[in-house]
Amino acid sequence: MLNQKIDRRDLLVAGAGLALAGCGVGNSGSGSKKETEKVVKAKPDGDLVYFNWAEYLDPALIKKFEKRYGVKVRQSNFDSMSSMMAKLRSGNRYDVIFPDQSFAPKLIAANQLLKIDKEQLKNYDNVWKFFHDPAYDKGAEHTVPYGLYATGILWNEEKVSDMTGSWADLFKTDAKGKIYMLDDFQECLGMANLRHGFDLSTTNPDEIDKSKEMLIDQKPLLRGYSTDDIQNMINGNAWIHHGWNGDVVNLRNQVKNPEAYRFEKCKEGIPVGSDTMAIPANAQHPGTALLFIDFMLEPENASQNVAYFGYPMAVTGAEAAFAKIAKDDPAVNITVEDVQNGQQFASLTGEDKALWDRAWTEVKAA
Amino acid sequence: MSAATAPKPFDRPRFLPVFTGLFFVFMFAPIVIVALFSFNSTKSLQRFEGFSLMWYQRFFEDESLRDSLFASIQIAFVTMVVATALGTMLAFALVRARTRWAGSANVLMLIPLVTPEIVAAVSALVLFTQIGLQLSLQTVTIAHITFSISYVTVVVRARLAALNPEVEQAALDLGATRWGTLRLVTLPELWPAIVAAALLTFALSFDDFVISFFTTGESPQPLPVRIYSAIRFGVTPTINAIGTMMLTVSALLIALAIALPRLLGRRESGLGVLVGREGA
Amino acid sequence: MSEQRFATTLLVPGGLWLLLCFAVPLALVLAASFGSTDDLGNTIYGWHPENYEQAFDPLFVPVLLRSVGYAVATVALCLLIGYPVAYYIARYGGRWKHMLIALVVLPFFVNYLVRTYAWVALLADEGLVNGAITNVGVRDTGIKFLNTDFAVIGGLVYGYLAFMILPIYAAIDRMDQALVEAGKDLYGTPWNTFRHVTWPATFQGVLAGAVLVFLPAVGDFISAQLLGGPGTYMVGNLIQQQFLGADNWPFGAALTTLLLVFLSFWMVLYLRSAARASREAAV
Repeated sequence: MLNQKIDRRDLLVAGAGLALAGCGVGNSGSGSKKETEKVVKAKPDGDLVYFNWAEYLDPALIKKFEKRYGVKVRQSNFDSMSSMMAKLRSGNRYDVIFPDQSFAPKLIAANQLLKIDKEQLKNYDNVWKFFHDPAYDKGAEHTVPYGLYATGILWNEEKVSDMTGSWADLFKTDAKGKIYMLDDFQECLGMANLRHGFDLSTTNPDEIDKSKEMLIDQKPLLRGYSTDDIQNMINGNAWIHHGWNGDVVNLRNQVKNPEAYRFEKCKEGIPVGSDTMAIPANAQHPGTALLFIDFMLEPENASQNVAYFGYPMAVTGAEAAFAKIAKDDPAVNITVEDVQNGQQFASLTGEDKALWDRAWTEVKAA
Repeated sequence: MSAATAPKPFDRPRFLPVFTGLFFVFMFAPIVIVALFSFNSTKSLQRFEGFSLMWYQRFFEDESLRDSLFASIQIAFVTMVVATALGTMLAFALVRARTRWAGSANVLMLIPLVTPEIVAAVSALVLFTQIGLQLSLQTVTIAHITFSISYVTVVVRARLAALNPEVEQAALDLGATRWGTLRLVTLPELWPAIVAAALLTFALSFDDFVISFFTTGESPQPLPVRIYSAIRFGVTPTINAIGTMMLTVSALLIALAIALPRLLGRRESGLGVLVGREGA
Repeated sequence: MSEQRFATTLLVPGGLWLLLCFAVPLALVLAASFGSTDDLGNTIYGWHPENYEQAFDPLFVPVLLRSVGYAVATVALCLLIGYPVAYYIARYGGRWKHMLIALVVLPFFVNYLVRTYAWVALLADEGLVNGAITNVGVRDTGIKFLNTDFAVIGGLVYGYLAFMILPIYAAIDRMDQALVEAGKDLYGTPWNTFRHVTWPATFQGVLAGAVLVFLPAVGDFISAQLLGGPGTYMVGNLIQQQFLGADNWPFGAALTTLLLVFLSFWMVLYLRSAARASREAAV
């Protein structure tokens, strides 16, 4: 098989076949405004292609939705905003997606999200007033809020003690090899920014450089980068995990010793944000998607979801469910005021995004 | 020098068989574990609690997993048929043609063999997105065919080169057309190689992860991609059940590849064809 | 029709497919590697050779060195493990030769992911192996197997061992036994016989196996992802991250092109060596 000599001229001829194809073919990626303003009625028009974080919506609710409307929900998961964007960019078509408040503006600006006709959502009045005109989506034309979150640190009390309520806890040497950071460029660089006292979403190259160095220095202490904080804590691979407030509640629901698992917010600064539900402009079943969003805005369903994943949802009628959780553990509490006043990840574009991406790739590769 | 020479450490019967035995233990241990725990009655991957078929049951009750299984089979089948046809024709051309085109085609055919899967996957992804083709089962199939052709060509070519061209010549002299000769003389002789190549292609496509991962659409996804998601996002022993089933399918295919030529009356086994092609 | 015409006709379907579905995409990747991205991460073609500058700065080279390092270690281990096994089966397999080789190949047909994942289950901190160690009392706490360089190399070895064994087996099988017998008489010790007779006769098989293991191992990302830790990033992971994680296809394309060039270099070297060897053998 491998005995043939390669003639240099043969290679050139073969190579000539490679050369000319690349000119001029590109894909636009940006949609037209018209596509986003399609008229869609909320009714079942096929199975729902659902794209969300893993373990971020009660499976019982999915079954309930399937039964009520006689459709199937085809689930896919992403493990970071970047992977979500990558899959969208690859041309995959979804019906409902869950971008956070730093990525939603990008999608809106590129005409990638369907305009949501509020008339089609019976339960829209349940949405908290604050989200009827949020900064990331003027007039809330393209998104509906989902969960509110804050980033902090989860830990296992049976394995580590003397946590100090500071981001420095992610650098504890006595937990070396049992620490995980979130596999997300904004969360990690943001944490380092806060620890240095910089702005959460600074775009100053020197500051980003310092944060990058801090993360590289941290690497020998880490077990890995992962957004799967729930599973990593449960299977014992992680004693300390960079993670989100609701996940500790979700994880407590799954283990035999819930008291062992704790969450803290950090004094140097708390990144907060909100996730949203949105319908891509090229969705093939937008009617079902509208029904699904409406379904999640029903107070009974929202409450059930809150109890499952531990985050407050911006739906009137679900506050009681979250208040109960927050009473048991004030550390996971987060309110609209927190979201309004807290530090949020900015929607980075252009040079700034390239700066952050570059720094993150260097951290990963070091 | 007497015939009863000193003991030869390297050849000493004890070392090599023991070493080989350990090797097989090492190779099969994880597979045995996978198969074993696929019958576990609990979720645990550390302790075997009891015998149960629940994970297989769960697999067959899960519509999307069933869809993925059929998707993988469908992709592998189409890939097998198309790649074997194209590859066999290419093998024939490369062995018999002496033109400039044949030389370039040979190079073009060899490159996929040494291209790392990730490069292959990335280039397929770029192709599909740039021409605006939505990712789907079809795109996965196209990508699989592209990378299977070379395997088929190499396996068939080795066999073809060893054939005696005089039989074909005799057929032509007796008035057969080129196509007729191909069909009635050459192909039957090539049959073990073609079958071996076809089954190899099926197995490789069915098992493929990297290329499928980059070129798959959303639903249904080939089985290995589902396995990856399950590993990343929450593991259940259903993965073990899937793995065991895939192992059984692959084992059957290998058994077929080896036995079929023998069963059809050939002197050599398909394995000889496959193995004979390796090495310089 | 003439044989040449007939043969060339048969060349067309396969050749055309490869051209359109393999060669053209590679050209697109090359073109994309000179492009840039817009805000959503879509590729815009242009002339930005800085993607390659980026690839050559301290970022890419250590990752490539690490990948090559792992791949070389993998080849070495595969050789150390694979050669004796191939030798045993080829020389002493007898009637069972074919079955034994089939057994060697069989695990290779279990999905790579499932096999690697099985090792994750086995080697986890609270997995079976550590369970055995602590129960037997060898140690109090488990050993951290996973998320280390060794785990990644182990995963690579496990994944590619069959590629090393098959060519060596074929070479040994083909070897003329009379040569070995003569060698034993001539060289006395088994070690010398091996060094002067067996090894050179099977060297081409070893080389083929080394190439078949090295090339895919360098570009592998699954072992590093499932078995490795933050410090085991390989070229494959980097490329995967650029395409499916970060928003930078042009940079990913540049890395892909560089990887392909790097590996093609070794492939061409190997082919020249093999061609020379077969020329010499024919003499």
